[in-house]
Amino acid sequence: MANIFGYEMPDDLYYNEEHSWAKVEGSKVRVGMTDFFQREAGDIVFVDLPDEGDEVTQGEVCGKIQSRKWIGKLVSPVSGEVAELNEDLEDDPTLINQDPYGKGWILVIEASDLDSELKNLMQGEAVKAFIEREIKKAEEEKAKAK
Amino acid sequence: MESWRLIQETERLKTTWEGLSVDDTLPLAIERFGSPPILHLYKFVPSAIVGRYQDIFAALKIERCKVLNIEINRRSTGGGTVIMGPEVLALGFGINVDHPRINSGSVEAIFRSVSRALIEGLRTFGIAAYFRPKNDIEVKGKKIAGLSAAMEGKKALLFHTSLLVSFDMGILTEIMNTPLIKLQDKGYSCFSERLTTVSTESGRRVEVEEVMDAILKGFEKTFSVGLYHSSLSEEERSIASKLEKERYKNPEWIFSHRHPRARMGIGRIKATGGLLEIYLSLLGAVIENIYITGDFFTTTEDLNKLESSLKYVRCEENKVRDAIISVWKPNLIYGITPEDLTKAIIIAKENQLRL
Repeated sequence: MANIFGYEMPDDLYYNEEHSWAKVEGSKVRVGMTDFFQREAGDIVFVDLPDEGDEVTQGEVCGKIQSRKWIGKLVSPVSGEVAELNEDLEDDPTLINQDPYGKGWILVIEASDLDSELKNLMQGEAVKAFIEREIKKAEEEKAKAK
Repeated sequence: MESWRLIQETERLKTTWEGLSVDDTLPLAIERFGSPPILHLYKFVPSAIVGRYQDIFAALKIERCKVLNIEINRRSTGGGTVIMGPEVLALGFGINVDHPRINSGSVEAIFRSVSRALIEGLRTFGIAAYFRPKNDIEVKGKKIAGLSAAMEGKKALLFHTSLLVSFDMGILTEIMNTPLIKLQDKGYSCFSERLTTVSTESGRRVEVEEVMDAILKGFEKTFSVGLYHSSLSEEERSIASKLEKERYKNPEWIFSHRHPRARMGIGRIKATGGLLEIYLSLLGAVIENIYITGDFFTTTEDLNKLESSLKYVRCEENKVRDAIISVWKPNLIYGITPEDLTKAIIIAKENQLRL
């Protein structure tokens, strides 16, 4: 498990710039939100998900996530068909906060073009550089707000 | 100087489907047509508008709204019920999340940056307002406006604000279901003690149109832009018409069941400082609203600070205690400790009933 500037960003996952992660499980991909996202957003109030069987597209919004009075987006890291939804999130969406890479997984996609689409996601050193940029951006904005 | 669009509507009160469909068009105009940021200022007919993922049946006394001719609807941004009408300024604001004049460092930073424009506008009336995390604008410990937001598409944002210019607080307990419904008198005072209006704070009767002008100037000054009068283009108008039909006139949208479970509970304990009563609304696992009451001594500002720190926090003992401690100072509530408060909140959670 990689710890990047205090955020857990596991090495075996792929990431997109909208803070969702993808875990390859054969032809399927398990999807969730990163530790960085959950800490930034605060406790999750509700997750509005597509239905099983729906088609989703890499880089497109496939769900909504509410924290505070803010409705954010879940961007699909890969294209394919929604194969499974985490029903436990209905009762307690804060599982995304408590265990973002475990019990807080959001959905599973039967990927349609995995090999080529994985190249569009970040892994390893690129993740570190990305988080560094995000932290720097947040710090600059905080300074601006003062 | 950069120019932003202003859609200012003063000629008549807007129905909920008119106002909300125009608001939803703002981020889409930015996302699809590259429009500059758009500020929409208007007034609604008397109405009660719930948040995108709120249980409308749990939030409102729907039959009572019908009798009183209060329109009900559901907006596309988060948060709880807002009561709108001729004396409340409605504000929709669409902007790209990466716009250089927005502090996009965090959700809170974005709320703060839009708040700055509203705070600047309120200064016109001699009102010293400030941002109260997580989503409110307060004056001397009382809420005067709330902010909610939603991301549309990839990068566009919609903000909603309702700013109380004058307001009949009595209507709140009449049409809203709150944990306080069983205690009408206390419910009323709990609301009225925690809310204020532009008229109250400025000590004179202020018209909504005056506030509109002050707010738009607040936007111009805060963001160093010029606002020019605008209306929806033909393409934008057709999006608004579609949204009006698909969302705001559609019972499936208004009475949507896509929401977390709403519950409420009451917790009472006897502490050294007196009786402590907690009225709690839960949205799924998090606290939606909390009222701390009892026969103890404190200030409205401190109570509001405490209550705000607990909103949208997972209702679990350690998280509740941490939230309280984050704003606690000695004798914040005389004779009551953070432990007492935590205990009373957890009792309220355990006593919860489904709404």
